[in-house]
Amino acid sequence: MSIDNEHKEGAEVLFMGNEAIARGALEAGVRVAAGYPGTPSSEIIETLSRSAKEGSLYVEWSTNEKVAMEVAAAASFAGLRSMCVMKQNGVNVASDFLLHLTGSGTRGGMILVTCDDPGALSSVNEGESRHFARLMEIPLLEPADFQEAKEMTRWAFTLSEEIRNIVMVRSVTRMSHASGNVVLGPLPPAGGTAEFLCDGPISDPEQGPIISAPVAEKHRLQQDKVRKAVSLFEKSLFNTYTGPKKPELLVITSSACRLYTREAVSMLAAEDRVGILKLGTTWPIPPALVKRYLTATEKILIVEEVLPFLEDQVKILAAEQVRETGIKTFFGKNDGTLPTTGELNPDLVAEAIGRILGIEPKTIPAAYGEKLRMLAGLIPRREQTFCPGCPHRASYWAIREALQRDGRGGFVCGDIGCYAMACLFPAAGFYTCKTLHAMGSGIGLASGFGKLGSFGLEQPVIAVCGDSTFYHAAIPALINAIHQDANVIFIALDNSGTAMTGFQSHPGIDINAMGNASPMVDIAALCKAMGAPVVVEDPFALKETRETLNSLMEGGGGLKVLILKQSCALSPEKKGKKRYLMQVDELLCKGDACGCNRLCTRIFRCPGLLWDRNKGKAQIDEVICAGCGVCAGICPAEAIRCEEAPVS
Amino acid sequence: MELGKVMQQVKERDAAPAEKGEGLGGQKELEEMVLKAGLCTGCGACVNICPYQASYRDKTVTLHSCDLTRGRCYDFCPRTPADLGALQRKLYDESDITPELGAMRGFFITRATDTAIRRQSQHGGTVTALITLALREGLIDAAVLAGEGEGLLPQAVTVSDPETAGRLGKSRFVVSPTVAEFNRAIRTECRQIGVVATPCQALALAKMRTQSVTATEGGIEKLQLVIGLFCGWALSWRDLSTVLKEKMDLASITGMDIPPSRYHTLEVYTRGETIRISLDEINLCVRESCHSCGDMTAEFSDLSVGSARLPEGWETARQWNQVIVRTERGLDLLELARRRGILEFKEVPGGNLEKLKAASLNKKRVAATRPSVGNGSGDSYRQAG
Amino acid sequence: MKSPLLTKDPYNIIITGVGGQGNVMASRVLANMLVRRGCKVTIGETFGMSQRGGSVMSHLRVSATTVWSPQIPKRGADLIVAIEPVEALRVLADYGNPAVKVLVNMRPIYPVGVITGESDYPEPEKIRRAVTALSAAACFLDATEEAINLGNPILGNIIMIGAVEGLGVLPVNREVFETVIREGMPASRIEANLRAFDIGAAAVAGNC
Repeated sequence: MSIDNEHKEGAEVLFMGNEAIARGALEAGVRVAAGYPGTPSSEIIETLSRSAKEGSLYVEWSTNEKVAMEVAAAASFAGLRSMCVMKQNGVNVASDFLLHLTGSGTRGGMILVTCDDPGALSSVNEGESRHFARLMEIPLLEPADFQEAKEMTRWAFTLSEEIRNIVMVRSVTRMSHASGNVVLGPLPPAGGTAEFLCDGPISDPEQGPIISAPVAEKHRLQQDKVRKAVSLFEKSLFNTYTGPKKPELLVITSSACRLYTREAVSMLAAEDRVGILKLGTTWPIPPALVKRYLTATEKILIVEEVLPFLEDQVKILAAEQVRETGIKTFFGKNDGTLPTTGELNPDLVAEAIGRILGIEPKTIPAAYGEKLRMLAGLIPRREQTFCPGCPHRASYWAIREALQRDGRGGFVCGDIGCYAMACLFPAAGFYTCKTLHAMGSGIGLASGFGKLGSFGLEQPVIAVCGDSTFYHAAIPALINAIHQDANVIFIALDNSGTAMTGFQSHPGIDINAMGNASPMVDIAALCKAMGAPVVVEDPFALKETRETLNSLMEGGGGLKVLILKQSCALSPEKKGKKRYLMQVDELLCKGDACGCNRLCTRIFRCPGLLWDRNKGKAQIDEVICAGCGVCAGICPAEAIRCEEAPVS
Repeated sequence: MELGKVMQQVKERDAAPAEKGEGLGGQKELEEMVLKAGLCTGCGACVNICPYQASYRDKTVTLHSCDLTRGRCYDFCPRTPADLGALQRKLYDESDITPELGAMRGFFITRATDTAIRRQSQHGGTVTALITLALREGLIDAAVLAGEGEGLLPQAVTVSDPETAGRLGKSRFVVSPTVAEFNRAIRTECRQIGVVATPCQALALAKMRTQSVTATEGGIEKLQLVIGLFCGWALSWRDLSTVLKEKMDLASITGMDIPPSRYHTLEVYTRGETIRISLDEINLCVRESCHSCGDMTAEFSDLSVGSARLPEGWETARQWNQVIVRTERGLDLLELARRRGILEFKEVPGGNLEKLKAASLNKKRVAATRPSVGNGSGDSYRQAG
Repeated sequence: MKSPLLTKDPYNIIITGVGGQGNVMASRVLANMLVRRGCKVTIGETFGMSQRGGSVMSHLRVSATTVWSPQIPKRGADLIVAIEPVEALRVLADYGNPAVKVLVNMRPIYPVGVITGESDYPEPEKIRRAVTALSAAACFLDATEEAINLGNPILGNIIMIGAVEGLGVLPVNREVFETVIREGMPASRIEANLRAFDIGAAAVAGNC
């Protein structure tokens, strides 16, 4: 959905949190937006890309978060408003540049939007980006509903220009991927001229070169900026209080936790006992404001995800001001009132508040509780797996067979993308993937494993990496492996897009985020240029892929590249189109009587295959089957037939 | 060690596991008792009967895990527990059974009359002569053999043409998945199949013929002839390649042989020269599973063939074979070869059979005690053809 | 815009199904219909990896006045729309209560564990019995079959939205459905969607 043309000022629309953030940026007149896809942040750049226009808004998917931040910073240096967008761990990638950027300062308003994933709903970590604000000494804003997500994003640009430094806006999955009503504001006129003024003296923030040195001087300046931000935070309308003047319990909270808290208070019918101080400006917290509310009560509960961040700040403040505010009792993460891992929800918060105030939670009627027992054992677990038609299933099948044939205990170092599912759900990857860390870490680890031969490590080492991940962070590690002559087979699982997060463009695709033709960087050519031998296979050709992999394992040492190229089953060119009409020939399928022990369903595990328990034979679920034809190659009885589907 | 004592040990070794539950097992047990225990012979008995086991290089590997508790993979494997005595009594005339060499109806020294066959084969070319004869006479319509493969790896093949069979008579020092190929062949049009088998492969075929589970599958009745090869051990492909690679270009190898034990060498024939490698080095390449094998003469065959030992010395002996005939079918074939003039016979020198028995017994002794390093497998009556 | 009539505020709807069934699309269409009728709607959902064959839930909070938590408290559902039958049970286990109404599309999508024989999928009759016992009102539809008859199984979602309208518990109607889908869909597909909506509405009207 486009967020600019169809919706006029004053209209009330349903926006996803990420759409609200994008709209806020548009209303602020953002000119350059860059990001790297990562759940739950991706829709911000995607949404903006639909509003992108030559000369009014430039949007790009950068190769990684650090580059995205650098691209956005360049626009700021040239006087334009800019933003960079990433998920929590993306900030780690960008942090080296961020450290220097916060020292050098910015010109045009520049914001960093990070979307954290408490509970790791779509991540392999629940790392927090909030702590970067403290570490890098930059202001942090956290929206607590959808309208605020828009308003706060817009204001963040203003704040950035006030203090001449980058401002961080942090969302979480339950904000970014939740939706709610948003009333739209006006869009500014297009335009803006870019020029990088850099001929002035080094001390001139308007016209000098932009660097973080002299460090002591720039660092002191940076801290002045933070103080200025705090003075603005004291008056900010993003910090609100609801509840009685003298609450029995003061809850200090931010972000989605504010919605959980309000719900919890309502569930307990404790509106007249609990006050909620919602902070939108969460680093540094405004001391005068917080002190005012601390004075009004004895008991304070801090509700936040994941680690104690507000809690630390509030406690330091309370300790510093203890003479004026008096001695308090704090509840939160440190005393175990709330968990320090995972996401929160209304029930967890209600339970915490109920415990503090001695309110019993409402329970369901005993008769209903009794009836719920009939569900015991009735609900089968739903394991995640590769989609029907997914090339990764085929790739891992070939990898598994090649590793088993080789017989030296070889293993795969995994990486970030759909194919990481092979690490998270071992059966989905046929028990091949044995490590999973940051983007690009698969080949980095493999490079290390590949040098352990002299200590007796004889296991073949394979690293897998998706195409988008390849450009993001695999290249330096790959160069390392080549240069160090590490014994590694590097497999690029090239499914032609950033599939996990919804087919964002990347350097291997000839179209950029704005839909324009764009030069491609070819993985095979790049690897060859770096001096690695390269083989390309179609993973749907199971046998050929397996044979190639085995011969690579047998060959001499050093790094070898195997590119397994086949588009994602959900890619625009494939989705909804079947290449083959699949069918199980009931005469050929010997079913339970076959020695196959249900290889197709039990091991291959494609959701498009079913085992008909009554007939004791395999069956294709035509609604689910994507028609890739791969399963035809694994049936020992050749009972799975594929027939070219008519072109529709 | 005395014969009685060794035989008692052998009997105990073979019988003990049977008490634990002979014939009851699936892939899990096969993995634990054979594959992970280093006992797999690479024969391929468990291959091509399901999608879970496969032959790769000279090994049998598990591609995916199977959770069936009973499987042909386990039943057919020559290294899963079985009462070999009972198996012998089931398949052979009890009066022919000797403790040292299995069933024996006759013992001969033979060679192919055709010098071309001898040149293309190992030693006297007896196996090649017999298999081509069986094909030509229609006793069998297909022969499963270890053929040429890549590098040092033999490839199991099914041939129906005697000419082709005649060209595949060289000794292989690395095992080929012959039984896997047999499993494939019985599902084809072939009706009568002959197999040239090492002792472990012959045992697998014998198990197939006697296990009830085969009855449901069909096909085993196509097995019409098993020509066994004497075997001291086989070498691991990966280890052998590593040793040979340092000394020569693997592509230049034309053949190999092992002279009698006093030479203590492996001879590798390349285009141009013969390279001799000490058995000390080669012994390190012996497959682990071979150390547990007590069968030197392929006791579960119709007739078994090995290299000869003659008083005239090695240069003469290497032109001949020793043959143990075990069944009526084996005897008929040998007689036919004599009648047709395909084979020539030589009088068996006195003491030859005793020496063979001693060597065979020695292998049983070694296997029964399972020394960790196999440095003496008796005289090397290598598989021959 | 005048305040809409709600039988309860907030009115809590859970739309559940399996990744790839179009759960997110269904929740967005329904929410947009409600926003057009003057409601404040909050949707909570997760997507990303959970799309890949896992259970997917959208939580819709419908209010006349304000935004609510994107997560419905346990036992707090007023209406459960299950595009897949066992997902109805899964949601009932956590969010069920004596007053909840449940709409179930009876077309199963078997979990991998069922396909592989590691777990069992309950008989349809068992599912019906459990859903009926655990709800104030339940309606079972063969939405996927109807949708296949219409030419595309994904229309099963729209049939379910029609069924929600048929229940008469929310301030939505066919007209607002048409307005919403006309915004986000090529004209060629409108007719089939309207027919799907009508099938759903008719299936429920008077039956639930």
